Amino acid sequence: MTETDARRSGLFSRYRPLPDSFDEYADAAGKVRPEAARVVRLIEGLGRDEVRARKKLADATFLKSGVTFSVYSDERGSERIFPFDLIPRIIADADWQRVSQGLLQRIRALNAFLADVYGPQRILAEGLIEPEHVLGAKAYEPKAHGVAPPGGVYVVIAGIDLIRDPNGEFLVLEDNVRTPSGVSYVLENRLVMKRVFPRVFAQSRVEPVDEYPSRLRAALGSLAPDGEEGLVVLTPGPFNSAYFEHSFLARRMGCPLVQGSDLYVEDDRVWARTTLGPQPVRVIYRRLDDPFLDPDCFRKDSMLGVPGLFGAYAKGNVALANAIGNGVADDKAIYPYVPDMIRFYLGEEPKLGQVKTFICAREDDCKYVLDNVGKLVIKAVNEAGGYGMLIGPQSTRKQQAEFKRRIRENPRSYIAQPRVDFSTCPTWTSRGIEPRRVDLRPYVVTGAEGSWVLPGGLSRVALVKGSYVVNSSQGGGSKDTWVVEEDRG
Amino acid sequence: MISRVAESCFWLNRHVERIDALARMLDVSQSFQLDVDLRAAERWRPMVIVVGEEAAFEGKIPAPLRDDGETVQRFLCFDEACGASIHSSLRSARENARTIRETVSVEMWMTLNDLWLWFTDRKAQRLYNSDRSAFYAHLRNQCALFHGHATATMLHEDPLEFMRLGTALERAAQTARLLDVKHHAIGPETEGPESADEAAQWLAVLRSSAAVEPFFKRPENEVSGESIARFLLFDPGFPRSVLHNLRRMENFLNLLRSEAYPEMGAPSRKLLDATLVAFESGGFARVMATGLHATLTALVDRTIELGSQIHADYFAVSTRPARDSKRSMEE
Repeated sequence: MTETDARRSGLFSRYRPLPDSFDEYADAAGKVRPEAARVVRLIEGLGRDEVRARKKLADATFLKSGVTFSVYSDERGSERIFPFDLIPRIIADADWQRVSQGLLQRIRALNAFLADVYGPQRILAEGLIEPEHVLGAKAYEPKAHGVAPPGGVYVVIAGIDLIRDPNGEFLVLEDNVRTPSGVSYVLENRLVMKRVFPRVFAQSRVEPVDEYPSRLRAALGSLAPDGEEGLVVLTPGPFNSAYFEHSFLARRMGCPLVQGSDLYVEDDRVWARTTLGPQPVRVIYRRLDDPFLDPDCFRKDSMLGVPGLFGAYAKGNVALANAIGNGVADDKAIYPYVPDMIRFYLGEEPKLGQVKTFICAREDDCKYVLDNVGKLVIKAVNEAGGYGMLIGPQSTRKQQAEFKRRIRENPRSYIAQPRVDFSTCPTWTSRGIEPRRVDLRPYVVTGAEGSWVLPGGLSRVALVKGSYVVNSSQGGGSKDTWVVEEDRG
Repeated sequence: MISRVAESCFWLNRHVERIDALARMLDVSQSFQLDVDLRAAERWRPMVIVVGEEAAFEGKIPAPLRDDGETVQRFLCFDEACGASIHSSLRSARENARTIRETVSVEMWMTLNDLWLWFTDRKAQRLYNSDRSAFYAHLRNQCALFHGHATATMLHEDPLEFMRLGTALERAAQTARLLDVKHHAIGPETEGPESADEAAQWLAVLRSSAAVEPFFKRPENEVSGESIARFLLFDPGFPRSVLHNLRRMENFLNLLRSEAYPEMGAPSRKLLDATLVAFESGGFARVMATGLHATLTALVDRTIELGSQIHADYFAVSTRPARDSKRSMEE
C-alpha cells in the first residue's frame, strides 16, 4: 500500500492486492480505502512484535473462555479454537446500508416463497418454477404443507453468505435459512478485539453487535402462541460441534438450553422436565435439523429429537424457529430462482446480485457444465461445509472425470457456477500481511414485528494462500467485521 | 429448572469437592510420612481404599509398587483409569460445567477451564515434580475460587442450591471416609492410651480436613482419637463436619421447596430427617458403643442412599407432582 503509511512500522508497505480481485483495504492503484485508513494507521503504529503479542493474547483468550468447536473425527473429543485473524474486515457504512436493504428484501421474498410453497403454490401454478423442481426436492417437506407457523414467520434466523466480485459488488452466494451458525463467533470475536485492541476501538466508530441476543429473544418471544412465555434453545447435545454456540445463545438470552430428552409431548403440547415437574414450552429455537426433530414423524432412528413435536407444531401449540421445511428455500437448486421470486412476490427488482448458476437438471445447462467442468465450480445440491464441491480451475483431470460421471448419473443433484474471484482482505500470515479471500455471512432476525440485520456479520477467511475455501473444516478462519463511518479526518 | 441441568449442577460440585478433598489428603499424607515411622502398608494404601479404587489400583499397579508413595500419588492424581483420580474428577467437573455453561457463570466456567488446561499441560507436571505442596495448594485454591465465584456471581436460587446440596453431601461423605482411613491404617480401635505415632496420625486426619485451627478453638478438645472423631462428626460449626453438612443439606432441600408443589422432594427431606435423627440421638457415646468403623460405614451408605433419593425426586421426574390437595379442593 502506498500513501504515507510506509514511514511507520511499514507493516502494510509491502502489501500488494491480487490483480483480478477486489481488495477490502486497497484500491486498484494500491491506495488505502478511506474506511480502512484509520485501522491501517493504528496497526502500523503498533509494529510487528506488538501485533504478534496481541495475536497470542487473542488465541489464549479464546482457549481460556472455551470458545471452541469440537472435532468429530477426533476420538478424544478434543476442542479447537476457530482460527482468528486480528486484522478486521471493514465495510463502509454507506455500502452496508445498501447490503442491508438487499438482505431485507431477500428475506421477505424467501419467506413469501415458503408460505406459498407450503400453501397455495401460486408460483408453481403460474409456471415460474417447474413444480417437480420444488416438490421433488429432497428438502421439500410434504408434511409441512398446510401448516402455517406462528406469525407466518418461516425464516426467523437467516445467514446469507455474500461475496464481493472484482468490481466490489456484493453478491449472494448461498442462502441459509435452516439452522445457520456462527453468530456466537461474531460476538466473541468482537469481545476479544476490544480486549487486544482497546485503543483502535476507542478511535474508530464501529457499529456494535452485542444487541443480537436481545433482538433474537424479542423476535422469538413475538412468535409465542397466545403470547405466553416458555422459550428454550434445543441442542443436539454437548458433542455437537456447535455446542458452544447453542449454550452461548441460551446464556445470553437467559433461557434454558435443552436436549431432546429434556422435552416431551402430551396431548400435542410440549413440556420440559424440570425439578418442579413439567413446565410448558411455547417457543423452541431448535438447532437440530428437520430429519432429527421428531422420530415419530421424520427419521425413526433419531435419538436427539422429541417424539410428537411435529404434532404440537402442526396444532399451533409451539413455535419452531426456524420453521419445518425451510430447506426448500435455501436449496442450491432453488437459489437461481430467488431473483424471480423477488419480482414475483414483491414486484421489485433485486437489490443484491447473485452468481450465475447452471442447473444440471436442465438439459442445456447440463451439457454446458459437462463441456466446461474445468472452468466451473460444481456443487452437490445436498452438501454443505465445502464438501461435495469441485473447483474446476484447481482440479485434476481425474477429479473432473469423476464429477462428470456423477453429474451424468444424477444431474438433479448438481449445480455449477463460474468461479468468482471474490474479494481479499489483508491477513496476518507467517510472511507478513498478505491478501486472503474473505466471504461474509450477515445475520437477519425476523419476528412478528419485522426484521433486523446484525451490522456486519461473520467474515470467514481462506487462510491458505491461493485458496477459495473459507470453511473452518478446511483451513478457514474468521475476522471481526466492522461497519464503520468513513474516516474524514 | 431443567432436571438434567439440576443433576449436572449437583454433580459439578461433587466433583469439585472430590478434587479439593483428595488434594488436601494427599498433601497431608505427603508431609505426614516425614514425621512418623509407619509400616509400609499403613502409609499410602489406605488412600486408595478411602477413594474406593482398590480394584483399579490392583489391576494396574504391580504388587511390588503398591506401597510406593510416588506410585500411589501418581495414580491418584493423574491416572485416567482411576475414576476417583484428580484427573478424572477434574475432567468430569469441567465436562459438567461445559454442558451447563448457560447456567454457571462465566467466571466459574473460566476457573475450571483454566484449571483443566493447566492440569493437562506440562506446567502442572513441572510443579508436581518441583514443589508438590504448591501443586496441591493450587488445586485447592482454584476449588475455593470456584466456590467464591459461585456465591458472588450466580443468582441465589435453584441452580446454586443444587450445587451447594452436592457440596454438602460430598463433604459429609468425604469426612466419614477420611475418618475411616485411620481404621484402615491401624486396624480396629485399640484400647488404652494412644502412642505418639497414633496421636500424630490423628493430627494428620485433622489436617486433612483443614480442621487443626478450628479444632483447637474448642477449649475442651485435646489430641486424642475420641476427641478428634467427635469433632469431625458432631461439631455443629465446623464446615466439614458430618453434622454441619447434614444440616446444610436440610437447609438446601428446604430452600428448594415449592409452594405450588409441596410434595416435590418430600421423600428426600424425609430420608434426611431420619438420617439426622438417627445420627444425633445418642450422640458420640452411641458411636463409641457401636464402634467407629461401623458407624462410618453406615454413614457412607446413608449418603449414597440420599444421593439416590435426590436423584429420584428431582432429576428423574417425568410426571407432574400432585398439587397442594387442600388448595385444589378449595378451587
